[in-house]
Amino acid sequence: MALLEENSVLVSVQNLHKHYGDLAALRDLSFDILQGEVFGLLGPNGAGKTTTIEIIEGLRQPDSGSVRVCGLDPAQETMTLKERIGAQLQSTVLPDKMRVDEALHLFAGFYRRSASVQMLLERFGLEEKRHTFFEKLSGGQKQRLALALALVNDPELVLLDEPTVGLDPQLRRDIYALIERFREEGRTVLLTTHYIEEAERLCDRVAIMDRGQLVALGTPRELIARSGQGTRLEVRLAKPVGIDRLKLIEGVIDCHEAEGAYLLRAQPAAVTIATLIRFLESNDNSLLDLHIARPSLEDVFVEMTGRRMEH
Amino acid sequence: MPTIRIALLTIRLVMRTKVALFFTFLFPLVFLFAYSGLIAHGNPEVVAYMFGPVVTLNIMGSGFFGLGIQSVMQRERGSLRRYRLAPIGPRTMLLSNLLANYLLELPTIGLLLFSAIVFFHMPIKIGWVTLWVLVTVGTFAFAGFGLTIASVANTMQEAQVYNNIVWFTLLFLSGVTFPLPMLPRGIQRLAMFFPSTYLVSSFQSITAQAEPLLEHWPEMVVLAASGVFGLLFAMKLFRWEKEERISTRAKLWSGVFVLPFLIMGLWMNTRANPTAMWARSYNVLGQGSAAASNAEAEEPNVIEDFDGIQASEELLRRWQVSTDSDVMGQSMAEISLLTPGAEGTRHAMRLKGHLAPGPKNVQGYVSARCEVQVPAQSRGLHGIEFEARGESRIYQVGFSPPKLAQSCCSKSAAPESPAPGPSAAGWVKADATSLPAISFVPGEAWQNVRVPIAWLADPSEHGLADGPWVLEVSVTGAPGEFTLDLDQIRFY
Repeated sequence: MALLEENSVLVSVQNLHKHYGDLAALRDLSFDILQGEVFGLLGPNGAGKTTTIEIIEGLRQPDSGSVRVCGLDPAQETMTLKERIGAQLQSTVLPDKMRVDEALHLFAGFYRRSASVQMLLERFGLEEKRHTFFEKLSGGQKQRLALALALVNDPELVLLDEPTVGLDPQLRRDIYALIERFREEGRTVLLTTHYIEEAERLCDRVAIMDRGQLVALGTPRELIARSGQGTRLEVRLAKPVGIDRLKLIEGVIDCHEAEGAYLLRAQPAAVTIATLIRFLESNDNSLLDLHIARPSLEDVFVEMTGRRMEH
Repeated sequence: MPTIRIALLTIRLVMRTKVALFFTFLFPLVFLFAYSGLIAHGNPEVVAYMFGPVVTLNIMGSGFFGLGIQSVMQRERGSLRRYRLAPIGPRTMLLSNLLANYLLELPTIGLLLFSAIVFFHMPIKIGWVTLWVLVTVGTFAFAGFGLTIASVANTMQEAQVYNNIVWFTLLFLSGVTFPLPMLPRGIQRLAMFFPSTYLVSSFQSITAQAEPLLEHWPEMVVLAASGVFGLLFAMKLFRWEKEERISTRAKLWSGVFVLPFLIMGLWMNTRANPTAMWARSYNVLGQGSAAASNAEAEEPNVIEDFDGIQASEELLRRWQVSTDSDVMGQSMAEISLLTPGAEGTRHAMRLKGHLAPGPKNVQGYVSARCEVQVPAQSRGLHGIEFEARGESRIYQVGFSPPKLAQSCCSKSAAPESPAPGPSAAGWVKADATSLPAISFVPGEAWQNVRVPIAWLADPSEHGLADGPWVLEVSVTGAPGEFTLDLDQIRFY
């Protein structure tokens, strides 16, 4: 592990610009990633996530701006940097007839420091598949192998580009568990995703990107709280109540009726619920049913960009 | 070391792929057996001559398809991307591919050499170090070719187009498929610009002529230089991703790759004279074929097919021409070697001259004859046959016992009467004696003439087994010019 102080900045991206012809892939992008955190880049396809991660890996050069990773300049000190980072591609392709353990041994041999291949096989559930050809692996197994390859040099920074794309929910949860373990080990993780729940579940902080720009940055909780969208409450009452009266309850941002239920957006939700119950008791009414739905990062994205994420 | 690790794993992957195994090891053997069997007819000397083209073909294939196409395929599949994340650069990838290609080439050449020696008894006129240098330099040169094409091509389709253009050009115009001396002069001049020409001709001079490698240092230098150029280009233009495209300007720069060949080709065309060297090696092919023909001639049924004869002088030693000039006649005749012979054979014999009228109504006389040993086991044979072609006039063919032939050869008088005329079939039986004489009239095209010999089935019964006998072809009929081509004379 790097001998950096806790919470020190491991990745610093400042005023990054990148064009592909006329297309602006990145526009003045800036953020820092602290050591030991799981940092998410959230955005729809074409937001610039992969370009960002590839610049951090040293695979692409920015048009302008600066990047420091583990104290190194990825553009100038690429080989040194590669020794210290582990990366997983959106889609990893290896030769068809390459066996799992051969791939791990081969790539481990490229680094000055490497993890135990046996440990990686066990940890990523590939022990039984160690002699299997790459072409014979399932999608989930290929992705687990890709993650194992990302850890083959025991890196301090792990870069994961859409690690669960194309996987079914169960496999996705398996991958989540593996990434959560990265955090437990104290590794710094940068992952790109366009799955809201992935970012919410895994990331300590999230940078929301759209069309090459940073739209919002913070912890998922902060972003949601900052969004002003409020918690969604769906209530069914014993007696009907006028919407105007419900709107007067403390914390209610918005209220409308749909199919015999009242849909409220409230902030903070706890205060609104307590006030609502007191209001119903004082008006000889009662609560028949209550559903609470927290706002999501998608709500934040919609609020920030005016459109929904396209998966 | 990453280069060696990747190379060794690449070799292991090839060993696991049936198609790759076939093209790496079995396919070259197919060519060796085809060249050695169909062209060299199993003759060891000719196999030695053809070994160069077989090895060159294999080296070319490994460069173009083993390395070039594989490099593009790796990029197109996306398998290079994973390597890109590791602390290795283009140089490691290229050198590992180059090393794997070379390490796969060596056992293939070994297998070819082993097969040529064991199955075709190819003589080893080449030292192991010389062979190793030739194979190494050749493999490196064509690896450069493959890598350059892989670097320049943006897609697999593009690579296939470039590959096929270069591949087929080199295949057919540089001595790999057709021996260089067989090619027209213009093509020979063009071939002097092709690297495969340098490798094939060097191989042939060394394996067939046992020439020292040092005599071919210019070819070796140019081949090695092309390998270096190819590698440098590949490093400069290396791309990890299929989405990365190479500019037209960069493509044009790759034209520098052909510079060594351009210089070498110009030098060969103006200063050097490689055609003489090519011809010297090619003569081995001729001698080999002659040996093969002689071997055939040793078959009891073949009397003369002329394929084993290299020059007219040799023909004159075997065949004797007589005319009436011995008795003050005016007829003239000569025999010469004709190329090609009947039905695509190497040679035939041409008897050409002028038949003059003899004095006192005696017909002029011209004949050509050779000695023939009657096969010891002639039972089952019915006569002599040959292919004939010439001007439409009457010729006679006779088969005489030694004593009669002796008197015939020293006779000073020509036959007094013309032989019987030809039949519609082109030949008729002249008489019913035990010494058959046949008249025939050849046409413009080759046609088969048969001389039935009744006693041939059991010559000892007729007391005629002792040889040699004399086969004599004579010109008869009206005075005038004549031309007669003969080939494939044999018992039937």
